[in-house]
Amino acid sequence: MPRPLGITSLRILGAIRDGVAYGLEIVTSTGMPSGTVYPTLGRLKKGGLVRSRWEDQRAAEREGRPRRRYYELTPDGAEALRDGVRRMSAVAADLAPGHGGPRG
Amino acid sequence: MLVRALLALAGLLTPAARRQEWREEWAAELDALEAARASGTKGLPTRLGFVAGAFPHALWMRTEGWTMDSVLHDVRYAGRLLRRAPGFTAVAALTLALGIGANASIFSLVNGLVLRAPAGVEAPERMVQVARSYESDPRWDNFSWPALQLIGREARTLSGVAGYQGGAFAVGRGIDTERVFGEYVTGSYFDVAGVRPHVGRLIQPGDDVEPGGHPVVVLSHGLWTRRYGGDPELVGRTIPIGNQPYEVIGVTPPGFSGVESIGTPPQLWIPTMQHPGFGGQLVFEEWGASWIDVVGRLAEGVSFEEAEASMELVSARLREAAAVHEDILVLIAPGVGLDPEEAVEARQLSTILLLIVGVVLLVTCTNVANLSLARATGRRSEVAVRMALGAGRSRMIRQLVTESALLAALATLAAVPIVLAAGSVLPAVFPYTLSVSVHADTRVYAFLGATGVLAGLLFGLAPAWAVSRRDAIVALREGSATGGRTRTRLRDVLVVSQLGLSLGLVAGAALLGRSVLNARTAEPGFEPVGLSATAIDLFSTGRYDAEGGAAFLAALHAEASEAPGVRSATLANQMPIAGGHSRASVRPAGRDDLGFEAEYVVVGPDYFETLGIPIVRGRALRGFDDEPERVVVVNEALASMFWPGQTAVGQEVERGGERWRVVGVAGDVQMRSLRARPNPAVYYPAQHAYSPWMILHVSGEGGRSVDADMLRGVVAGLDPALPVTGVTDLHSALTASMGETRTIGWLVALFAGLAMVLAVVGLYGLVSYGAAERVREIGIRIALGARPESLVRLILARGIAIAILGVGVGFAVSLGLGSALRGLLFGVGQNDPTTLVGASVVMLSVAALAAWIPARRASRVDAAVSLRDE
Repeated sequence: MPRPLGITSLRILGAIRDGVAYGLEIVTSTGMPSGTVYPTLGRLKKGGLVRSRWEDQRAAEREGRPRRRYYELTPDGAEALRDGVRRMSAVAADLAPGHGGPRG
Repeated sequence: MLVRALLALAGLLTPAARRQEWREEWAAELDALEAARASGTKGLPTRLGFVAGAFPHALWMRTEGWTMDSVLHDVRYAGRLLRRAPGFTAVAALTLALGIGANASIFSLVNGLVLRAPAGVEAPERMVQVARSYESDPRWDNFSWPALQLIGREARTLSGVAGYQGGAFAVGRGIDTERVFGEYVTGSYFDVAGVRPHVGRLIQPGDDVEPGGHPVVVLSHGLWTRRYGGDPELVGRTIPIGNQPYEVIGVTPPGFSGVESIGTPPQLWIPTMQHPGFGGQLVFEEWGASWIDVVGRLAEGVSFEEAEASMELVSARLREAAAVHEDILVLIAPGVGLDPEEAVEARQLSTILLLIVGVVLLVTCTNVANLSLARATGRRSEVAVRMALGAGRSRMIRQLVTESALLAALATLAAVPIVLAAGSVLPAVFPYTLSVSVHADTRVYAFLGATGVLAGLLFGLAPAWAVSRRDAIVALREGSATGGRTRTRLRDVLVVSQLGLSLGLVAGAALLGRSVLNARTAEPGFEPVGLSATAIDLFSTGRYDAEGGAAFLAALHAEASEAPGVRSATLANQMPIAGGHSRASVRPAGRDDLGFEAEYVVVGPDYFETLGIPIVRGRALRGFDDEPERVVVVNEALASMFWPGQTAVGQEVERGGERWRVVGVAGDVQMRSLRARPNPAVYYPAQHAYSPWMILHVSGEGGRSVDADMLRGVVAGLDPALPVTGVTDLHSALTASMGETRTIGWLVALFAGLAMVLAVVGLYGLVSYGAAERVREIGIRIALGARPESLVRLILARGIAIAILGVGVGFAVSLGLGSALRGLLFGVGQNDPTTLVGASVVMLSVAALAAWIPARRASRVDAAVSLRDE
């Protein structure tokens, strides 16, 4: 991991966390513009945090639509997401009003 | 369609090796979006917004392997190359800047007029315009005072309803008096519009209660700074308005100029209760009156659709209360600025203008692409050497695209001053008075940037692709000058499209020009030459009752008819083309099924004679005291509508519960616009239809307009205090009514000229280049005894062939542009063959000349020299 992940990447990883997803699902569930989601997916894929696989051609044909490209987390990605969530919660706790907010 | 095209365009940006995979993914995503939309899923992005993301995605893939160093290297290298060819750089950047600047300028106009709500209005998307219409006669009209009150009470879905009505006010005293356009507004107006005071306070409901009891005024920021030096102490002091002291209570924030986008912007606001109508006239009580514009604001949590549905109830209440017009409707339209009728026109005009500048952008891009291609020819060996040294094709394309991008960036910067200048020039030449400002905001700059990128793509990609083809290497190896067949073909295509596009513009300009000329000689149904008119407003003085007013008008008619240089004079409540238009319901007596809102024209003596309107059958209307019975004259359009195939004279019409006997039929008059069909009209004698607002029409002797000062003198002789605002020359007004056509005509002519020069230069360059490539062949032919004429023909033939192809493309462009311009044309068809052929002939002649010059030069090649050079 060269650099800690930003919020955008974490939200995308989070959207993929519970299974597999294709681009539009990530766009709608995160509410981020498609111009952010797809390049970020590309970057995450290149960094080995997500992997993609093409849907089975026959399965798609049965539903009469082009085959989709699904994204899923790699073990590294899952780890990076957990790490990022920890980091973000720490930041959030620091920012909460009243000396770092509730602790324990 | 657009979405697919955008996707295909974005696909071109991806690296070829991964393009297939990219396309497949986006096809599936788009399909998924369509499916989700069809199933009604919430929270989906718009198609366009979604596909816009394909561009960053494609760019990301393309630039994935790039390092900052290599990008900087490319930019530096491109910069060096452009500096080394300052002539090319300047011409290309300026040409592009014109195309980009023209687009962004027109967009700034469209933005100010159509896309942006009037400035200073809070949450304009929550505002609505309220209008009166009829089931049998759809329209968009304003209300009477009682109707406004009723809507305020009954429209529960609106949190507030406000009325306003424009008027001219005399501000100041003596020679310091200035006529200022302002508005009477209800106490709710500023609250509904969400305007907060810049200084002091604004008009509130408490300021609009008692007739004549609230002499207070709110000034616009502009009037306050211009006339009063922005003095904050002015608040609380009084200023004279129309001979009455008004207390200045506040100033609106800068930028606020009412809730309308078209028309003279108001500079002061006065409570409606100060309207002179409260001095005893009927206007405020009469349900049937129509004078106050109404806007409202949607209540918290109410959607526009809910409010729209609730208007049915309001309509029903209005019908009960007014007990007239069984089919009256209260309509609302979202937003403020343009009413629906204006919005349709503004959108059409915007589309036409954007289409025209779009064509101009295409022409400039093809021109620069052509220049770049020509220049690339000179760079073949450079490219070939770099490719031979191991630069990949994609690396070469990247280098060339960087150059194009740099050029596009330069051009976009150079376009900024054009856009800024347009902010002050466009409103001045625009055929309507704009109350909104046309300045460049973020949206305009975003459009400018996007146009720059698009232009860069348009003119940059093709040359890059052509130059870096494999045959460049072959060219190097063979050392021959003929390595660019693709390039030459591409240049042919570019010149053909340039010629075609500019022919389209030339034909468009010619159509508009002919329309303006036609309008000059048009027959509007009346004689405009020598006809002047001036509005007489007895109402705002508050000193005339119906009897006194009628006596004054009779005296005015007598005086004006006797004045020197006057052939004939009359009075009427509206003048053709120029204004005062009003309509009223009328039906044939005893026919409940057939009613129509015809032009409502109240006329004094000598009306038809003064305006030169022919009486086709029966007689004209007589003087003020000579029509004891209720009689009317109708026009031919109404006669044929009400009594087809019968004699109209002797029939009766019904209006307002009274019967009027038709004594004559007059010729049709273009009452509102030259382009529209004449409306059915009924002419009522002033004796039975008194109106305090009349227009004095005077026809001069021998077709000469009478002196405006003389007219003012006549009015002042009878009542020195009666304001005479302006004298309209009907002939000029008629010409001015074609203002849109003329403005756009000039604009198109300007762009057509520009495009034609560019296209012809392109053709000239192409033929010269073709000749240069064949120098050796020509040398041989000459050595073998070919005559110069045959050589000229040889080279010319290619140029002419291209020009003819261009004319073919131009026909298609002209047909498209012609149908877009349809609404602006007058007396000439959109596909007028004469115009098309004429424009083609002009185009072909110029093109032939442009091809002949280089052909002639080539034929004089010295055979010995050309062969020795090889």
